[in-house]
Amino acid sequence: MTIDIQALETALVSGDRRGLAKALTLIESRRADHRLLAGKLLSALYPRTGRATRIGITGSPGVGKSTFIEAMGRFFLDQGHKLAVLAIDPSSPRSHGSILGDKTRMEELSVDPRCFIRPSPSGLSLGGVARRTRECVLLCEAAGYDTIIIETVGVGQSETLVCSMVDAFLFLQLPNAGDQLQGIKKGILELADLVVVTKADGAFEQAARRALVDHEMALHYMQPDPDRMPVRVMLCSALEKKGLREVYDTLLGNLQTLQADGRLQKRRQAQREEWFESELQGQLMDLLWQDRSFKKDIQKLKGKVAQGIMSPTEAAQQVIAGVDLKRG
Amino acid sequence: MSTSYRTGSKDLSAWENLARKDLGSDPLESLNRQTPEGVPIKALYTAKDLEGIESLDTVPGFAPYTRGPRATMYTVKPWTIRQYAGFSTAEESNQFYRQNLAAGQMGLSIAFDLATHRGYDSDHPRVTGDVGKAGVAIDSVEDMKVLFDQIPLEKMSVSMTMNGAVIPILAAYIVAGEEQGVKPEQLSGTIQNDVLKEYMVRNTYIYPPEPSMRIVGDIIDFTARRMPRFNSISISGYHMQEAGANSAIELAFTLGDGIEYVRAAIARGLKVDEFAPRLSFFFAIGMNFYMEVAKLRAARTLWYKLMQQFEPKDPRSSMLRTHCQTSGYSLTEQDPYNNIIRTTIEAMASVFGGTQSLHTNSFDEAVSLPSNFSARLARNTQLIIQEETDICHVVDPFGGSYFMESLTQNLMNEAERILREVEEAGGMVKAIQQGLPKLKIEEAAARKQARIDSGQDVIVGVNKYQTKEESKFEVRDVDNTKVREQQVARLQAIRQSRDAARVKTTLEALEAGARANGNLLELALDCMRARATVGEVSDAMRRVFGEHRAPIQSVSAVYAAEYKMKSDFDDARKLIAAFADQEGRQPRILIAKLGQDGHDRGAKVIATGFADLGFDVDIGPLFQTPEEAVKQAIENDVHVIGISSQAAAHKTLVPRLIELLKQEGSTDIAVVVGGIIPQQDYEFLFQSGAAAVFGPGTPVPTAAVETLEAIKRMRKG
Repeated sequence: MTIDIQALETALVSGDRRGLAKALTLIESRRADHRLLAGKLLSALYPRTGRATRIGITGSPGVGKSTFIEAMGRFFLDQGHKLAVLAIDPSSPRSHGSILGDKTRMEELSVDPRCFIRPSPSGLSLGGVARRTRECVLLCEAAGYDTIIIETVGVGQSETLVCSMVDAFLFLQLPNAGDQLQGIKKGILELADLVVVTKADGAFEQAARRALVDHEMALHYMQPDPDRMPVRVMLCSALEKKGLREVYDTLLGNLQTLQADGRLQKRRQAQREEWFESELQGQLMDLLWQDRSFKKDIQKLKGKVAQGIMSPTEAAQQVIAGVDLKRG
Repeated sequence: MSTSYRTGSKDLSAWENLARKDLGSDPLESLNRQTPEGVPIKALYTAKDLEGIESLDTVPGFAPYTRGPRATMYTVKPWTIRQYAGFSTAEESNQFYRQNLAAGQMGLSIAFDLATHRGYDSDHPRVTGDVGKAGVAIDSVEDMKVLFDQIPLEKMSVSMTMNGAVIPILAAYIVAGEEQGVKPEQLSGTIQNDVLKEYMVRNTYIYPPEPSMRIVGDIIDFTARRMPRFNSISISGYHMQEAGANSAIELAFTLGDGIEYVRAAIARGLKVDEFAPRLSFFFAIGMNFYMEVAKLRAARTLWYKLMQQFEPKDPRSSMLRTHCQTSGYSLTEQDPYNNIIRTTIEAMASVFGGTQSLHTNSFDEAVSLPSNFSARLARNTQLIIQEETDICHVVDPFGGSYFMESLTQNLMNEAERILREVEEAGGMVKAIQQGLPKLKIEEAAARKQARIDSGQDVIVGVNKYQTKEESKFEVRDVDNTKVREQQVARLQAIRQSRDAARVKTTLEALEAGARANGNLLELALDCMRARATVGEVSDAMRRVFGEHRAPIQSVSAVYAAEYKMKSDFDDARKLIAAFADQEGRQPRILIAKLGQDGHDRGAKVIATGFADLGFDVDIGPLFQTPEEAVKQAIENDVHVIGISSQAAAHKTLVPRLIELLKQEGSTDIAVVVGGIIPQQDYEFLFQSGAAAVFGPGTPVPTAAVETLEAIKRMRKG
């Protein structure tokens, strides 16, 4: 199948849903020639990117991420925004397959013509997800979506990763935080711009209020980051549609302030630098893998390292010594 | 009298030696098996196995009812032959019922179409493909009156399979009775009204669990006061087994649901003896003959034990009475006359287990609604057991069998273990809200499918002893468009002739009652009398209760773990991996369930199996329209849409979906169809543009490889 980059660009920019979908597939492709084409497409679209609000959302499984995104997303749509949701679901390391159910969990959003939802398999490397997700955000922006939500799987390294590509990072928390809070608060709370306690309704309302106080206490002990707005903790009920306006106002209000005083631009600059560096690393690795002796040496030395005959450091040095970087 | 016989339970070594000779090189342990329920089965049982059995040597009609709820069982009065049926319009179903009653059937059992189940009128835009399919369309009292035309409701016991739109349907039935001159007090029969299992399997719910439990309570309350001859609920395990549950899971979750309903009724102020005698049960009987006999015996014993916590005075309160139906899941499309034999064996298990009424499936039900011919055979299966054999002459003939008593006890122990898990989760409602039972059933289903696909579980004509010979037989086909037009015309006539103001007042009263504490069934009676429709009554409650949205969870890696025929599986994986290398990504499929059909076992098994083979699988939400599925397929840029159809709407919805793909310019997306599809519809589907059709019994790896081929053809073409 040949891919006509020009046609794809035209379709995407004109707001054609199918065009955007096909472009995202191109970005996600593992084929080397597709990567080159994807690079061309991105360059062509680059001037049209950067104008959307990028929001990352995370929280442990069961916290009601999709329910929250459904309610929050509808709120955004009602305020006149165009919304794209990118969701990342884990791939099986054994079969490489995956089950992607996000649309299901965002039923109302998924049928709304103003909204584009795309769940993507994580693939097998964290670096791969990062690279692709960043590029996917750009494509959605070029296609005219002014708000992009990135939903992550849940716990683990992916948080740091998503945080490095968004303007605001929302951390969702269940009302029954308690002890749980102790373990996770440090790592993730440091990344969060906004903590939202979900399911603050019915029987959970009291617990939610307690969780709010707990989080505020925890945040109190943390060093404030001068480059960001103070972290707020808020209550929300997707079920009763409560707290949505407050989250929306806080989120966009903060971003306005940060933009006015230049801190948002600074954050994005830093993110672009980081992206550049990791892209360099990634492309360098791609290049190395194309080198035949590199591949061979790795296969050879892997066994020695595994058996403990050679130290990993020494093995790596040997492989690098054999690479001729001038070609490529 | 002393004998010189060796008594087995004291010394088994002689028997073991003999057995070893028969076994040759295999060890003696190879005779032991483990059932999917986790119950061990030995080749031989002796008196020793009777040790520790709780209800040994009891008699029927007395607690704990292991041997039967009535003292004489079939020796005085055989079970009720009750065939479940309904299709297209009320007129056609009525005609079918009257024929069957004349031919020896004793009670009616009404199947409603999916639009009715989900509380939509036939002219609702979401149900275009569903009207008149898999059951009869009922929009108002007028339809209900036609359905029971010339059937005297004071004499006829009527069972209605209705859970979602249970309020308007039961109300319409009561009002149809009134207008025949029959009081509610005279009506006899059963309403399924078992909403909890809908959240686990089948999915024909409307409202969230909590208001739905209130509806169940309102019905129990009303029937306790006004309908003494009517069973207020039929607590059903049937659909769990159909969805893949093994007997222990079926038993545990069904009785667990039952306990939840009892608690709900007591919580609203009823005394246990006021309603518990009118609770009835409904189990599936599949091909595991002994296990199914044991299941009914265990169910009665365990229900008795569980009910004691409520301290009933009336013995009938802890006496489990049940309807049974032979397994639809066990029917095959291939070599379909085998189904007559399967149904006969299952019918016998139901009878040996001591059922109170029975539906025997027709052999063609793997692919369609029964024809007149197949329905007669199914009915005659029961008549032959009742009247030609001596089976009815003895109560609980398996009672005292070393093996059966031991199996009954072991199965009961396993079910009690699962029930404890449920109690630890806070009861069935809590467990269901967390999605635990659904996952457990789906896991069992994926394992079962893997055992069949890899030939560990034999199905004659499907994975062994296949025949090339095709069996041609007449299949009942419902012209869905015609039925819909007829229903829409009747709806229009009703809306024109009725007193609009009265409809409005009664619906407002219902809505207000839903907000407060009115008895919804009582309030709905006024609505139905005023000729409000099923959809309008359901909507009045939707405004207050909202709709239930199921969180879709899925199991993974289960299929791969159970699949024992490695080569097929690995071959499929390799083909998929090669495709992924060439394409730059895994093959991606959207598994869509279109229309109001909520049976999602097939879709879930395919989803987990395909993912285990290397597909990226998008699972579409239940009740999707073709428009919604197409939007999702395009946004996710899938290679193929797999439509799972169990309820006959494929002839309307598949062509529509393909047409929409064309309109959107997405002709590169292939469409495959799987599920319950009659052979004669294959050509129609291919003509409409489907790339492959998978009938029941297609192994998952085969379906995956063929789907991959369909994608490749699409790329070339």
